[in-house]
Amino acid sequence: MAQGRDRLLGNIEPLLLYLISQQPMYGYELITELEKRSQGYFSFKEGTLYPVLHRLEKAGLIGGQWQMLPSGRQRKYYHITERGRVTLSERAKQWRQFLSAVDLVIQSQST
Amino acid sequence: MVTLLSNYLDSVRSNLRLDLSDEKDIIKELEAHIQDRLEEMKAAGLSEEEAAKRCVALLGSAKALGRQIYEAHSQYTWRQSLLAAMPHLLFGLMFALSWWHNIGWLLVTLVLIVSTVVYGWCQSKPVWLFPWLGYSLLPVVAAGLSLLFLPEGWLWVAIVIYIPLALWLVYRISVQTIKRDWLYGSLMLLPVPCIIGWLLVVEPAGSFPEYSVERVSELAPWIGLSFLALGLAVTLFMRLRRRWLKVAVLLVSGLLTLFMVTYYADGRLSLVTLLVLVLLLLGLFVTPAWLERTAGWHRQ
Repeated sequence: MAQGRDRLLGNIEPLLLYLISQQPMYGYELITELEKRSQGYFSFKEGTLYPVLHRLEKAGLIGGQWQMLPSGRQRKYYHITERGRVTLSERAKQWRQFLSAVDLVIQSQST
Repeated sequence: MVTLLSNYLDSVRSNLRLDLSDEKDIIKELEAHIQDRLEEMKAAGLSEEEAAKRCVALLGSAKALGRQIYEAHSQYTWRQSLLAAMPHLLFGLMFALSWWHNIGWLLVTLVLIVSTVVYGWCQSKPVWLFPWLGYSLLPVVAAGLSLLFLPEGWLWVAIVIYIPLALWLVYRISVQTIKRDWLYGSLMLLPVPCIIGWLLVVEPAGSFPEYSVERVSELAPWIGLSFLALGLAVTLFMRLRRRWLKVAVLLVSGLLTLFMVTYYADGRLSLVTLLVLVLLLLGLFVTPAWLERTAGWHRQ
């Protein structure tokens, strides 16, 4: 699991951008969603999420908006910006190229 | 919220050192996260205490979290960086272009400094304000020097009115700055050793108010260059994310400008004076940090 965490820390930004591009989400929701979708593989110190979210927000890739819940509590929802979508598509392309290259190496070794 | 969580959030806040409004937002966001996590754990059967302990463990070190969020926010825009460097650049240009003896230019600079400081102070003290604040103390020093030209017997004016007022002003500004972050105290006072160095070079042995105009004219390009170097350092300070790098940039630029003063002083600054100025520079870093830690000059 530690390996999964290490891998996540290196790639957390595109993963967060992807999740936020699907629908506006808040911090806690992002953590649970990452854990759920990876079936527990991506589990990490929850505090590490917020510096990344704030970095993405400062870079203009996502925007944050406070929303009042019917219970009176407030949550900060993040949404992706146009710039964020462009960055996400670039990072996704790089990631696919990387995976194809890894596949090619592994296939050539097994044949 | 249980004490453990309140303490955790206090610890995060003490490591944030950001604008008050940003800090409030960040803590509110973490509170919302904690609330969600607590509800989930209590629904799973954990007691309030157990849930709080687990929640803190899941969040990780408060110090690391505070510092990482600080780094996410501590890189300022080019506009803010330029604004922070502006007073040094103005002073640099004033000497480099020989405008320092033009009374009109001096008045414009003075008005600009005072109005920028008043504006920044009313805007909940953004970081770009602190270099301006340092220069706003120059008119206070100038007013003190001008008292020396008053007719004899007027010394009591300085003793009764000026000195307490000036000390009070410097104290208030220092407390407010260091309470925000001790590093901004160092940022504010960064040009002090350089200014003292140049004053000593201009008139090392003569009477205090009669600085040689001719000597200033001769040294003006180098005086200008030293302030321009400070301006560049402040721009870099504003653009860097890591705190230790910010400290290093201020310290190195302070030392460089002092060596620049010594080099162009043409032997008019002794090694002992240089060492005293270096100690003063180091004191400008150590004292604010010490006051923040031990004298309680930190934000509650």
